[in-house]
Parts: sequence; C-alpha cells; structure tokens
Amino acid sequence: MANLSIDKVRKYYGAHEVIHSISLDIADGEFVTLVGPSGCGKSTLLRMIAGLEGISDGEIRIGDRVVNNVQPKERDIAMVFQNYALYPHMTVAENMSFALKLKGENKATIAKRVQEAASILALEPYLDRLPKQLSGGQRQRVAMGRAIVRSPQVFLFDEPLSNLDAKLRVQMRSEIKDLHQRLKTTTVYVTHDQVEAMTMADKIVVMKGGNVEQVGRPLELYDRPANLFVATFIGSPSMNLFKGTVTATGFATADGVLPLPAGSHGAAATYGIRPEHLTIADDGFPVEVVVLEPTGAETQVIGRFGQQQLVAVLRDRVDYKPGDIIRLKPDLGCVHLFGQDERHL
Amino acid sequence: MSDLASPTTAAFHPKESVRAYRIVQSICVAIVALVVISPLFMLLIASLKDDRFQILADMGSFRAFWVSDPTLNNFREVGHFSGELAFGRYLANSLFILTTTVISGLVVNAMAGFVLAWGSLPGRAVILSVIIALYVIPQESIIMPLLIIVSRAGLSDTFIAQILPWVASPLYTFLFYQFFAQLPKELYEAASIDGASPFRIWRSIYMPLSLPAIATVSILLGIETWNQYLWPILITQTDYARPISVAIATFFGQDSIYWDRAMAASVLMMIPILMLYLAFQRWFISSFVGSAVKG
Repeated sequence: MANLSIDKVRKYYGAHEVIHSISLDIADGEFVTLVGPSGCGKSTLLRMIAGLEGISDGEIRIGDRVVNNVQPKERDIAMVFQNYALYPHMTVAENMSFALKLKGENKATIAKRVQEAASILALEPYLDRLPKQLSGGQRQRVAMGRAIVRSPQVFLFDEPLSNLDAKLRVQMRSEIKDLHQRLKTTTVYVTHDQVEAMTMADKIVVMKGGNVEQVGRPLELYDRPANLFVATFIGSPSMNLFKGTVTATGFATADGVLPLPAGSHGAAATYGIRPEHLTIADDGFPVEVVVLEPTGAETQVIGRFGQQQLVAVLRDRVDYKPGDIIRLKPDLGCVHLFGQDERHL
Repeated sequence: MSDLASPTTAAFHPKESVRAYRIVQSICVAIVALVVISPLFMLLIASLKDDRFQILADMGSFRAFWVSDPTLNNFREVGHFSGELAFGRYLANSLFILTTTVISGLVVNAMAGFVLAWGSLPGRAVILSVIIALYVIPQESIIMPLLIIVSRAGLSDTFIAQILPWVASPLYTFLFYQFFAQLPKELYEAASIDGASPFRIWRSIYMPLSLPAIATVSILLGIETWNQYLWPILITQTDYARPISVAIATFFGQDSIYWDRAMAASVLMMIPILMLYLAFQRWFISSFVGSAVKG
C-alpha cells in the first residue's frame, strides 16, 4: 500500500491539451473516485497513473517514487479494465496466476495466492473454466482476482461496472467496496456514474474538460458543491436551478419570486435547490404537476414553475393528477446560490 | 375452416420449393466436386498401374479411373535417396524447405504484424503503406536481382537460398497485422501491467489467440513454398537441395516419358501439402468466413 501523489500533471495530444495541470493527493488506503462526463479526461488521468499514457508535464509519485518514466509493470499497480481484458485462452486460475508466473514466483506460492484470491471473491468453483464460460459478474470478479493476487500498492479501476446490467452493478458495487474495506489498498476508480462515485468513494474528484472541478468527501460535494457543474453533476435527480436576481422580497426569476434565506449574497445569479429539499406547504410557490413518478419509497414530482421545469422528491405518497397546482416550499437552509461566474457563494 | 386451411396449404409450397432447391444445389455441388477430384483420383489410380504404356492408353476413357491389379512398384522405384530417381531425397528436401519456411515465416511475419499493430514504431503508417504497396509486386519481377544477390553471397544450391528470400512477406505481415489489430488493446495493456515484455505478450497472449491467422498463413505460405518452381530451378544445380517440384519436371524432358513414375512422384508431392491443409482447414475456413463477415 502507498499514497499516490499527482503534481501539476499535464497531457498533450499534439498541441491539444487534454489534462490541464492537475494536482491530487491520495492517502494510503484511500478509495478515490474520478468522476465526470465522457471526454473529461478521467480515464486518461488513470492511464497516466498506470503508465499506459505518457506524462507531458508534472510528476506522479507512488509512495516516495516518481514513476513518470517507470514501465507499467514496475509501478506495482494492478488495473481492472471496463471490458475485463481477461486472456480468453487461459482458465480463471491461469489468468490470475499469469502475473505471478512472470514474476518468477514458485508454484506453491502461486497456488496459495490464487486460492486466497479465489476464496475472497467466491471464485473457487470456476478456477478451471475459461472466461467465455463465465457470466459478466464472474468475469469482473476474475479481473479483480487477477489484480488481488499481485498485492499491488495501488488498484486502478477503469469503469469496471459499465458492461454489467443494473442489478449486477449494484451487487458488484458493494463487493468492490467490501473488498477495499478488507484489503485497504489505495484505490483509484474511474466512473461516469455519480451514484457509483457517491456510494463507493472516500473522496470524489469531479472532472470536466481536463480540469478538476472539486475534490471532497461525497457528502461535502453534495451539500456544498463548488460550482454549478458539480451541483448538477452530483445528485440524482439533479439540482433544480433558477436564473434571476436577489431582490428585497426574495430571488426574482422570470417566473416568480423564490424565498431566500436571511442574509443571502446580493450577487447571486442562480438559485439552486435539490429535489428532496422541496416540501408541500400552503405558503410555497405554485407548481403545475406534469408527471408523477412513484417509486414506492418516495414520489418524484416533475412539475412546472412558470416556464421552468423542476423536480421534487416527496417522502409522502401523493396522488396528484397532471395539471394539478401544488405549492412547494424550499428548505431555506439547503438553498444554494451561485454567482455570475457559476461559483458557489 | 377455410380460413384456417389456407395458411397451411400456403405454407406447404415454400417447403417443397426449398427441398427442390436443395436437391438442385446438391447436384451442382456434386458435379463441381467431381470435376475437381477426378484428375487427382486419376493421378492416384495411374500411380498404382505398373505399365506406363497402359496409362497412356487409358487416358481419355473411364479406364483411367480403374486399376485391376494395383501395385506400389512405382513408388518403390522413385523412393530412393540417391541415384537417378532419388525422389525420396527430393521429397525430404521439399519437406525441410516447407517446414523451415513456414515456421520462420510465421515467426517473422507475426512479429512484424504485431509491432505494426501495437508497437510504438515511428513512421508506422508509412511502413504499413509501403508493405501494402509491396504486396502488388509479383515475385517473378524480383527474381533476377535476387539471383544476383544470392549468387554473390555464395548461397547458390543451398537450402538457405530457397528459404530466406520467402520468409518475410508483405501479404502475411499485413494479414497478421490486421488480425492483431482487431484484438482488444486492453489485452496488451493488461499483460504489460502484469509484467509481460512485448515479446512475452506476443508469444503468450496474441499468438495463442491467432490460430485462424496462423492456419491461413501456414497453408498459403506452405502451398506457395511447395509449388516453387522457377526460383529453385534457377538456384539449384545438384540433388543436394533440389525440391521435388523441380525433380518431377525432369521426367518430361526425356525422350520417353515414364508416366508411371511421374504419377507416383506426383502423388508423393501431393501428400504433404494435402496433410497440411487437412491439419489447418478448420481454422483456415473459419478465418476466411470471419474475414468475410467482418469485412
């Protein structure tokens, strides 16, 4: 295990800069998720850590060692790929033992380590099978097993659950988290799924356009997003946003006035409220119900405030019809205000 | 009822026409197979006949496909390792040239294809274009300069002269390149993280996954090597490295053609390449079907 340090790292493809001077410190044993939309540079950054992409500028350190010019095999890392990248002609046991064989470990050690990894991942009955004879979830576990047997300093995951169906994704999510809690290996996990990021990570790094937008603990990012991008990217359904200006009566939008907490910043240009921070109240602002989505535990109300669409998540079971006018009141302690520069005020 | 009956009747006709189509198709395939196989069968039958004049007399009639008292005498006569009819030696020469060329060809072309597909090679696109361009140059057009090079290198009448010039081939390099390039890059990356060198990745990951390409190259290069005639006739002067393809031709330069021996020698020449094809045909066909489907 080791800490991982990324210092002013840049990546150019020709003249095009895709990673803009990123700095990150990942503590020993920490589970960090790189999250962001497609093309934000999260996979490129992960591949730079792995040594699969060159570093144009800056420094990457694993432990105390600068690894900029160190070959992937000498970085003491293990990587799990989106498409598993299992060797199709090798059995599960052979896939898992390949790295150890290359390292020149003796047969007894290899067998012991493969057995241990297989036992952790419940893969013992499948050791003699070929990857094509396994389900998606089992293949993903083999990919993780291949990483575990090497006892690396850092685990790297590149969207490992993207190829799985929704149910299996949830199951594998907890398996990976459980695995991390048991092994306590420093982990960098790339995903575009913010739910995955929120549920698994000790620390989330939100990226956009090759820049880090915000780094923090999952609930920090949720409760105190640094800017509009993080506010809308983290959380599902995403935060409701209204453009307008601060006035003496509240936050004036083109569709009406929204209540503001006392002492709000006068320069606010965008008003944000998360769907679960809206409640039904007689003194709320009027919203026309468009669609009702009951999920059992909660009900999502998609409505219209003037011309603006919004979403409210209600704990109560409600029975509104499309076209009904309801009144929603924001929890003033949870209102987010953003300036012209889109930064949180 | 009539509503229910009509679809059944309608469904009957397509089945009948499909059956008729299948019969016609089978007959056509059988005719084509007969046309292809009959000369080979005639060759085999003739090689079992003892009388060369009878072979000549039987040609052109159905008796060419029948032997009443088969004998292996012709094979015994040509199966020597020295002397005038040292076809045993020529066959051994050919087998040595074939095996060495195919094995070296697989190694060299697969390595080149691998580097072109996954190596960090400067000017890779240019090299690839040159390789594709080289493919259109016929072998015969480079034979004279090649003959001069080989002669000056003192390699005339050697096995090396018959193997070395044909080991590296733009066609087979490109074929391997194309096959490797369609395998996921993550396999390379996973193996390199696992600690494998590029050579180990090629040997332990990519080659075992390339059986269709290996089979295709083995068969094509094998046939090409086995059927070499012009080059060995220019480069060999003695029996030392003379292949069977050149040796058979000597029958037809004589005043009187020994058809019986020529047929036996031809059968001997045919067997190894037939075995090579049978050994690899499953992957060979699958690679052709695969390339047709994938474009």
